[in-house]
Amino acid sequence: MTDTASVSKPVRRRRIRPGDALLNVWGMLGLLFLFFPIVVIVVFSFNTGRTLQMFEGFGVDAYVSAMNNPAIVNAITVSLITAAGTAVVATLLGTFAGIALTRRPGWWAPGLLVLLGLVMVTPEIVSAISLLPWFVTLGVDWGFDAFNIGQVRLIIANSLFASAVVTFIVRARMTGMNEFLEEAAADLYAPPFRRFTDITLPLIRPAVISGALLAFTLSLDNTVVSSFVSVAGSTPWPVYIFASLKASLRPDIAAMSTLMLVLTLIVLAVAALILRRDPTGEGGGAAGLTSAMVGR
Amino acid sequence: MTQQPHIRALIPEALKSSLTRRSFLGGTAALGVGAFLAACSSSSGGGGGASSDGLNIYTWGEYDDPAVLTDFTAAKGPKITLDSYGSNPEMIAKLSAAKGTTGYDICVPTHSSVQQMATGGLLTELDHSKLPNMKNLTPKVLNTPFDPGNKYSVCKDWGSTGYVYDTTVIKRDLTSWADFLDAAQKEASGSMSFLEDQGEVAFTYFWSNGIDENTTDPAHIAAYRSFILDKIAPHVQAFESSTNASISSSARTLIHCWNGDARLGILANPEPDRYKWVWPSEGANLWQDNWAIVKGAPHEDAAYEFINYVLDPAVSLKELTYIGYNTGIQGIEDAAKKADVKRPDLVFISDAIMSKLVYSQMTSADGTIIGIYDELKAAAGK
Amino acid sequence: MTTLEGRAAPTPGTADVPAARRRLRAPKGLGALPISVWILLFFILPFGLVVWYSFGYKPGLYVTHANDVLSLDRYGQAASPAFFSIFVRTLKIAVTGTVICLAIAFPMAYWMAVKLAPKWRGIVLALILIPYWTNFLVRTIGWQISLSPEGFVSKTLQWAHLTDGPLHVLYTSAAVQLGVVYNYLPLMILPLYVALERLDPKLLEASRDLGGTVWSTFWHVTIPLSMPGVTAGMLLVFVPLMGDYITPTVLGGASGSMVGQMVAAQFQSAQNWALGSAMAVLLMLAIFGTSAVVGAALKVVGAIATAATSLKLPLKENA
Repeated sequence: MTDTASVSKPVRRRRIRPGDALLNVWGMLGLLFLFFPIVVIVVFSFNTGRTLQMFEGFGVDAYVSAMNNPAIVNAITVSLITAAGTAVVATLLGTFAGIALTRRPGWWAPGLLVLLGLVMVTPEIVSAISLLPWFVTLGVDWGFDAFNIGQVRLIIANSLFASAVVTFIVRARMTGMNEFLEEAAADLYAPPFRRFTDITLPLIRPAVISGALLAFTLSLDNTVVSSFVSVAGSTPWPVYIFASLKASLRPDIAAMSTLMLVLTLIVLAVAALILRRDPTGEGGGAAGLTSAMVGR
Repeated sequence: MTQQPHIRALIPEALKSSLTRRSFLGGTAALGVGAFLAACSSSSGGGGGASSDGLNIYTWGEYDDPAVLTDFTAAKGPKITLDSYGSNPEMIAKLSAAKGTTGYDICVPTHSSVQQMATGGLLTELDHSKLPNMKNLTPKVLNTPFDPGNKYSVCKDWGSTGYVYDTTVIKRDLTSWADFLDAAQKEASGSMSFLEDQGEVAFTYFWSNGIDENTTDPAHIAAYRSFILDKIAPHVQAFESSTNASISSSARTLIHCWNGDARLGILANPEPDRYKWVWPSEGANLWQDNWAIVKGAPHEDAAYEFINYVLDPAVSLKELTYIGYNTGIQGIEDAAKKADVKRPDLVFISDAIMSKLVYSQMTSADGTIIGIYDELKAAAGK
Repeated sequence: MTTLEGRAAPTPGTADVPAARRRLRAPKGLGALPISVWILLFFILPFGLVVWYSFGYKPGLYVTHANDVLSLDRYGQAASPAFFSIFVRTLKIAVTGTVICLAIAFPMAYWMAVKLAPKWRGIVLALILIPYWTNFLVRTIGWQISLSPEGFVSKTLQWAHLTDGPLHVLYTSAAVQLGVVYNYLPLMILPLYVALERLDPKLLEASRDLGGTVWSTFWHVTIPLSMPGVTAGMLLVFVPLMGDYITPTVLGGASGSMVGQMVAAQFQSAQNWALGSAMAVLLMLAIFGTSAVVGAALKVVGAIATAATSLKLPLKENA
């Protein structure tokens, strides 16, 4: 069997089947399609014209004006802080939930899974229209002033979907893990907290990190819910772009978007580096991230 | 003896990496504390203002000279953030939904909305002692029927409605609202836009049929409804209030717009003669936009300072030169002529045209008109 | 191994062991409590509020909602022809978009998972993820710039005499269709890739060894095994697509409007919270309904395919 395989392999390589060639072309075209608008934005970020759509010349004016525009800088700051806050909240909530779902599932487990699934399938617009009146009720009618702070609203709004995602990622990682290490630690008289910090946490570290990073990037992208609940002065970056869409788009938006893209890529590269050191290979790399994201 | 290799197999190499659990937990905690502190400190204002000396303006799109805004910050201090809306209902919806927590300080309602907003508790009563520059305004825009005594609002500018059309596509001369609606069905089909205002859309029909724009006659309104849904809806490409970008980038053939936006777009278009502005012959809507202070504004003093700043004649001239609307300051027309403002025909409305313009009013038919507008949006552009 | 198994049974004489075991089991599901509370407070209760509003009405021109009189009238209003046509249009765009995504994504995922050498897979996967990590709104704006009648695509097509006038795609349903296919394509590729990557090449070899052609291998082995990925992908694309608000706003103009915008308009300008809430509930029901129907249909198709396959194999063995 293996002999015929090793003999037939070189034959296959010399003669590329038309089906394979077609697939190669399809794949390349698909990639080009996916990158097309991104390239357009990056190119137009060097537009020296007044509006984004009309290309007038090449230059880095847009980058300079974007960095000097207080509204843009403020929006980016708000976005980054919100993303960090969301990552923290989502990671905390999601990690504990994921562990509880795998290790100690009770009567409540199916219900929680359905709920988390519901959170993930709810369209953003429905979340948006439900959260704004709710925040106003909590903040104004019932007097909890914290809910009038823009940043708080944004973090809460973004953390729902993100914590569901983190839960699924951690749960996926933990289902593959045998409990014998924790049992061994218990047999060695380790208290539950030490078991958690010394055994469980390091084992699920890749899942937690990828979950946190996913929460971070998802929060950076959140537009619809944020535009409904945001408070003036704490406008996140996508909401700023959305608002400019109605008035007029300037090249500095494309410039800052390009910079944000570079930032996201750096964050993901760091994530890939951290995850690559995961020796089990299950939770590692982009494939692991992907399967955790979609293999729910 | 064999215990060593077993343990090595049991404990993953993850524990050996530089990112120990301590540093991980510590980092997370630091991040959390940092984010929390940053969130608290950056929202020290009651309504969540980004800095304690800021100013949040909720206004129409491209409705202020950016140079004026930076000059204000340089002269008085508060940094300005602008958010925009495309119609009065949108602004009112946002302010009333949030019940004072929007964080906006200034909004810019059109005259017909001021009373409604005041009754709804959305606006603060103005303290005229903080607005000494109000004396610069012409008597015509002060103490108006829609806001006697200027209790809630101060004139920002006033203007009228018309349309522009692409002369390279529409070869004939358009001069009236009837022409507008006709071209929308013919040459400009699929390439025309309406303003996002339910009243303005309705007025195109009423004016073209010689009906008073503030009519409440159910027969007129029913006729409007069947006309707009059957004849016009399939030809609409967009609903857009901030039209200058579309005009300057020649994006559409026929654009329903206000005179200042038309001017801004035409001046910014590489071919300034491509679009022609029309003062419709039957007459049109006359409106006045006003500065108002939102109830619950976190930076009320900064708001008063800004409004007062803009009412200064020199600053007002700068605004006029950019936005292209008559700001209602005494002597502004002469000052503009002296400063060689471009296209004054689009800014200063001649008496002949003025005689045909009518102020819009909130009427009992508003609910129906809004309903028809919603139906139009749903039916548009199939 | 055996040492641990030995330890699993409590050894007599060591009273501490049961206690440790108890501590291992003690906090039953405590970890799930924070997230449950969070979801209850900020998802269930607000959504319950929306459902509550949907039974209300709009009392006056300037008041958003009132609930003293409960009725199903708002649902009737939301299902009225004017608004229902938008539901239908949204469903059309969503279903077409999902199918087109599947058609584009399956060959791509197959190419990545089966045909590419492993060293390239990581790079191509990263390349697919990069547009996904770009801001949704920004990439849609990229299409708005590209499809503009005065834009470079239009000018190039006119110069190449492929169109006889400026490009009239922007602000039509076609632009929205293109936009949603583009935006959700990575979400279809990724689950398909994951499913196809798990495909054991030995199965494909076995199928060919049993005399199957390339096509029958594909039909009887690859497709059934990739069904979980197909289902996941279709779900991941269809659900957010139904509620998409950004793509039709940026690319659709007046004609590409979808349910998301309609719902938003009720809250953002029309100030009719009752109607908006009813529309939102109907949207959720539409999403669930369609997913359930399609899911059931797929299960039926899968069952038929499995039955057909299992019928054929014994015949081949005998041959």
